[in-house]
Amino acid sequence: MTRNGPVALFFHALVVIFMLAPLVIVCLVAFTPENTLSLPTRGFSLRWFEAVFHHPDFVQSFWNSLWLAVLSATLAVALAVPASLAITRYEFPGRGFLNALFLSPLIIPHLVLGVAMLRLFAVVGAAGSFGWLVAAHMVIVTPYVMRLLIAAISGFDRSVEQAAFSLGASEATVFRRVTLPMILPGVTGGWLIAFINSFDELTMSIFITSPSTVTLPVRMYMYATESIDPMMAAVSALIIGITAVAVLLLDRVYGLDRILVGQQ
Amino acid sequence: MSFLELKNITKRYGPMTAVGDVSLSVEKGEFVSLLGPSGCGKTTTLQMIAGFVEPSAGTIRLDGRDITRAKANSRGLGIVFQSYALFPHMTVFDNVSFGLEMQRVPKGERKPRVEEALSLVHLAPYAKRYPRELSGGQRQRVALARALVIRPPVLLLDEPLSNLDAKLREAMQFELREIQRKVGTTTVMVTHDQAEAFSISDRVVVMEAGRITQIDQPYRIYEHPETEFISRFVGKTNLLPGKVATATGAGATVSLAGIAVPVETAGLSVGETVTLCIRPEKLHLTAPSGGLLTGRVADRFFLGSQWLYHIDGPLGTLMVVTPNDGSTPAEQGAPVGLEWSPSVVRVHRGAMAEAPDVALEVTG
Repeated sequence: MTRNGPVALFFHALVVIFMLAPLVIVCLVAFTPENTLSLPTRGFSLRWFEAVFHHPDFVQSFWNSLWLAVLSATLAVALAVPASLAITRYEFPGRGFLNALFLSPLIIPHLVLGVAMLRLFAVVGAAGSFGWLVAAHMVIVTPYVMRLLIAAISGFDRSVEQAAFSLGASEATVFRRVTLPMILPGVTGGWLIAFINSFDELTMSIFITSPSTVTLPVRMYMYATESIDPMMAAVSALIIGITAVAVLLLDRVYGLDRILVGQQ
Repeated sequence: MSFLELKNITKRYGPMTAVGDVSLSVEKGEFVSLLGPSGCGKTTTLQMIAGFVEPSAGTIRLDGRDITRAKANSRGLGIVFQSYALFPHMTVFDNVSFGLEMQRVPKGERKPRVEEALSLVHLAPYAKRYPRELSGGQRQRVALARALVIRPPVLLLDEPLSNLDAKLREAMQFELREIQRKVGTTTVMVTHDQAEAFSISDRVVVMEAGRITQIDQPYRIYEHPETEFISRFVGKTNLLPGKVATATGAGATVSLAGIAVPVETAGLSVGETVTLCIRPEKLHLTAPSGGLLTGRVADRFFLGSQWLYHIDGPLGTLMVVTPNDGSTPAEQGAPVGLEWSPSVVRVHRGAMAEAPDVALEVTG
């Protein structure tokens, strides 16, 4: 392994500091005992965290976001597993179209999706429906799951399935006992990345949430447009904490390199 | 009636015929190898026996039962894949136990059977390991144990040793044969390695461009190849084009570049174009004036137990293999004589074909 020279090391340090500093500062501000957004200078306090947990709107929005992320990630995985298997393994008419269709939300701006969904919800009379919100989030997170799963399935040695089949297993048993466990890292990785994306989504959600389905990012946005106080920092610190845990889990079960660099 | 019978099996992919009209009978307990270059249809044939590929025409019968259209999971055959195809998320024990579980063998009976299969392949102490913790040779043994534990009527081996290094491959060849003898399972192996096919098979089926060209015992295929392709594909050989000069009831002489060579093949007619085929180890070096031909040593290669000479002479360059008996070998550039017995010369009728690349690639 080659070592970095002093210039490279300095540059790396600068990038890391630039990326981490705002997060560190937000987390520190969250512990301030003051009433303004300021670094804690007179000791640490948990009062703003307490304020979050006593703010019914934030608590409600947190649960909304959590359920939304869990449901949309789970449903996206349930849809993406058979879809990726079909696209990777079979030749059929419309295969290329389906593949493009599933991946297309990646390149459509969330803003556009938000406006489009708003119209759609109005047309079908679904404004304010939590179910339709889940569906909209599925549109956004499915491409991520598909990409991970297609990568996992492409590298799959099909003779392993043939071996199970020859030993007397039925198609369903082969899927349950062999295929699924072997693509499980892709499935879990896909689920987690979908979860994070949904939990974090703001742009589209602004358009299509109703007072009863407001998600945490939307709630924060609304709150921040009215007033800035350290409670925002506390909420941010909590989200950073939750995301960090999810990313750590992702790295453990799948490996971040494989998702971000695409290494098998 | 044979145990496993393929009758006029054909597989077409669109206009391309991968396997054409293949018929083969395998007796119970026999070890048969399908040998041929890549793309000759041997793997497709095996997959049709296994049930992974459906034949376009023909029938496959196992023990009198027509299994042509039976699903792979109802045939009960044991299959060992080139890539081993172990279940990576299961231990060695669970891998081997999987087939028994699928056959609904009671739990109490499974354990002794798995252990028996693992000790057959000398892997009993590795039962709790995962495939990734094993070497290539060990994985191959697990694959073999997993295929044999269900007591299949037929064991199918798809290039089982080609992922192993040379030394291990040789050791595994003999072990494979020993295990097969012990359990007595009828076995069909696909391989492109003629040494592998010859050393462990009862019979070898040579395939070429989707068709069977010869079915015989290994030494018969080596000594009496029925086509020029086989003599080229199987081992090294000298191929010499010539014309029949004289023919009698019991033999003939063939004129090769003006040199008359006696052969013992009957039924040739004068003037016919033929190709003579002489194995390098059937040629003997003699004193320069003593043999049927004279030549000069163009190159020599030391192979340990043998010497391989390239002899330049009136017939072009001939390969000669002599056993290393400890005596001083002929020097490079030295004049030598060549002699051979007429009985070792094989005659193929017709002109010599251009050497196909596939054959050259695997003979060396």
